Formats: sequence, structure tokens, C-alpha cells
Amino acid sequence: MTAFRTLARTLAITSLGLTTLLGTAMAAQADTLRVGMSGGYYPFTFVERDKLQGFEVDVMNAIGEQTGDDIQFVTASFSGLAGMLDSGRIDTIANQITITPERQAKYAFSAPYVYDGAQVVVRKGNDDIHGVEDLKGKTVIMNLGSNYETLLKELPYADEINLKTYESNIEQDVALGRADAFVMDRTSASQVIKDKPLPLQLAGQPFSRIENALPFRDNEEGRAQRDRVNQALETLRDNGELKAISEKWFGGDITEAPQTEGAEKNSDDA
Amino acid sequence: MQALNLDYMAGLVPVLLGYLPLTLGMAAAGMVCALILACGLAVIRVSRLPVLDQAAKLFISFFRGTPLLVQLFLFYYGLPQFLAFLVSINGVTATIMGLTLHFSAYMAESIRAAITGIDRSQTEAAQSIGMTNAQTMRRIILPQATRVATPTLMNYFIDMIKSTSLAFTLGVTELMGATQKEAASSFLYFEAFLVVAVIYWIVVEALSWCQKRLEKRLNRAYQR
Repeated sequence: MTAFRTLARTLAITSLGLTTLLGTAMAAQADTLRVGMSGGYYPFTFVERDKLQGFEVDVMNAIGEQTGDDIQFVTASFSGLAGMLDSGRIDTIANQITITPERQAKYAFSAPYVYDGAQVVVRKGNDDIHGVEDLKGKTVIMNLGSNYETLLKELPYADEINLKTYESNIEQDVALGRADAFVMDRTSASQVIKDKPLPLQLAGQPFSRIENALPFRDNEEGRAQRDRVNQALETLRDNGELKAISEKWFGGDITEAPQTEGAEKNSDDA
Repeated sequence: MQALNLDYMAGLVPVLLGYLPLTLGMAAAGMVCALILACGLAVIRVSRLPVLDQAAKLFISFFRGTPLLVQLFLFYYGLPQFLAFLVSINGVTATIMGLTLHFSAYMAESIRAAITGIDRSQTEAAQSIGMTNAQTMRRIILPQATRVATPTLMNYFIDMIKSTSLAFTLGVTELMGATQKEAASSFLYFEAFLVVAVIYWIVVEALSWCQKRLEKRLNRAYQR
């Protein structure tokens, strides 16, 4: 029994100490919004020299300034974020979460704050693939748990695509030529190609419009948080702060709904 | 191909070293807890206590028979589905618990082997001078068994340090998690993972040096 007690105590003490060290919050305080993100999705959420930054980080901090909430970021692998939201370890996910009917049935979504498109990306110099229609017989990879997996599976020729899901580093595997293409949102993909040393190129136009928003748990507390955040988003939209954050990261406004169907984004050449 | 980005690597070193205390802390906590648990299990197995022996066997069989990653996912993501209070266990605690359970199963077996490996004549000699079973265990068997078990236990500790890298999958940003994130933003994979590999390597080398010293010390009685 003593051994067991020592074990329990050691566990309690170490975890306490290490938790403080890590800064992971356990209990939700009324004025703390715990925001989950992968920290690995440039330039929306990424870590450079130990500093968590990106478009999502700026947006959430701006929201926190409006609502008075203390914004606390929790990073975990993308596929683990939904589980953390469901089990109450975080309050929302700021990681370019696309609104889908399935997700809408389960979560209380904020108003959309990013308008984007799903984009096929290939290795530089690969001129076989000009868009989603050329993916037949190709190996296409994406992040586990992402909406792009669903999008591709809905294609009429889905069973002819060799679809693989990864935990991370999809960009590298396409750059190395192990896979033919990956699917990501157009904005991040353009930015990665522009800023980073990987030999990649966009393949054709975006093939599906996507709207990103913040999912909250669909219960009283979650909906209350959602309403507070929505109000803040509206203010940030009106005072131009949302646009300013977008221009800082992308050199263009991705937070405004496009006026015409299939409108091109101004950020980049294809 | 591009040249190795040495500036980036040099800049990454202090950043990653900041995560070393967490990595080592989790491994050390796991090692202490696993040692205690393993000793208990080994004694149960050696003394063949009814019921407890079967329970210990089942425990060892499960935790040795399934991958650590599966165990971590099972406890961290799976169990809270049924036992809601487990949600309050954070990633760091869950990792320490996972390491404890997993490695105690292995360590119990090597401690048991070390104990049973001590020659019977030692026990007989101890009993002939009137020592009780407990005294024999504490004064005669365990000191000798410790010497035998130390190299393998140190092996497990080294393995445990490296296994903390799985904590990233539970949302804990430790050494590997921090590297993974830095690499995901710089896309300099080779540089980032090379830096972290060297850090792990140096840590393990330092430990091996300590192990050598410890073994020498434990061997003192056998040197002529």
C-alpha cells in the first residue's frame, strides 16, 4: 500500500510541477478560452523559434481583447484536436476548420471568418496534374481528420485515387516525390510555396469553396462562448482589424466573402 | 540540392534544449514509479502469492504485449469515453502513467530474473545463520540482484527517455513535439530532426557514462 501511495504522490507532484512548466490549463475558468491548434499549419498556426504565431493566433488574441477572455493556446496534433474539444480539454479549435454539414450537426460554429478554396498541390515541374480531375490513379495525401479527405472521397472517381492520410509533413512527401499531390487550402499552399524552400506548385484552380469558422461544443456553455466570439468577430470586421490581420499574413483579405461565384483570390499567381 | 542550413540548426539548439527538462522529467518520474511497481510485481512473481501472482502475470502479459502508443491512446483518448473523470488527467500525467505501466512490465521480468538468478546456496547460508525470509531477501538477495539487474534497468531507462517522444501525440509539446512544430514551419526537416537526434544521443551517452560509474561501484565487492 505504501508503494502505491508513494506512486500516487510522486505522480501527483511531478504532474503538478510539469503541468505548471508546460502551462496546460486543466479546469476551464469562466474567463479563459482554451483554443486548440496544431501549431504546424503555416501560416495559420506555426511555431518559429519557440514562438506560436500565425493568422489564427492573431485573430484569437484580437477576439480575446474584445470579449475580455483570457486566450490560452493548446497545441496538439491536428487529428487529436476534435477529441480534445469533445472531451472538454479545449473550448474551440482555431486551425482553419471548414464548416461541413456533419460538423455542423455536432458543433456550434461561429460565423465564418475565412473564405478559401481546396487546392491540389504537386511537386514543382509536375505537369501531369492540372487539378482535381487529373488525380485518377495518383497517390494523394492529406492530413488525417481534415475535411479534404471527405471532399476527395465524394468525387465520382474516388476509388481510383490512392488516398493516404498523414499525421504531418505532407508537404515534404510531395516535395520528395513519394506522393503525387496533396490537398490543402489555397491560401496556406500559396504562402508555403512563396515563403518556403520546398519545390512545390499549385495544380490548377481551387476545386471547392470552403468557409472556415470556430467550432464550439454544442451545449449551453459552448453556445454562450460562441455568441461572445461572434460579437467580437463582428466588431473586428467593422473596425477593419480582421482585414488588417489577413493583410499582414497573406497580403490580401481572405476574411471577406467573395462577391461572385469562383472569385479569384488576389494573393498569388498560380 | 540545397546546402545544410547551419545557422538555422544553431538557432534551434537553445530552443529545443528548453524542452529537455520536460522530456527528462517525464522519463525520471516514469522510471521511479516503474521501479517501485516493478519491484512489487517481481516480489509477487518470485514468492508466487496466489491470485496476486496470476494478476501480475496478466498485467505483465498485457503491458508487454501491446505497443506503448496503443496503450497511451487507449488511456488518454479511449477510457475517458466511459470514465468521465479521466478527462482531468493531462497529457504529461498520462504519459508518465503510460511509461510506468509499460516499462514496469519489462522491468518486473528482469528484476525477477535477477532475483531467481542468485544462487540457492546464498539463501541456504542466510537461513543457516537464522535469518528470516524477509531478512534474507533484504540483506542477501536484493543487494546482489541489484548488481545483476542494473545494466538492463538502465537500458530500460534509456528506452524510456526516447519513448517520451510519443507524448506529442497526446498534445504534450516535449522535445520531439517542439522539433516537429519547428520543422513544420521552416520545412527544413533534415536540419531540425538532425538537431534533435543529436540532443537525444548526447543525453543517452551521458547516461551511459553514469551507468559505467554505477556498475563499477556495484562491482567493488567482487574486485580483488
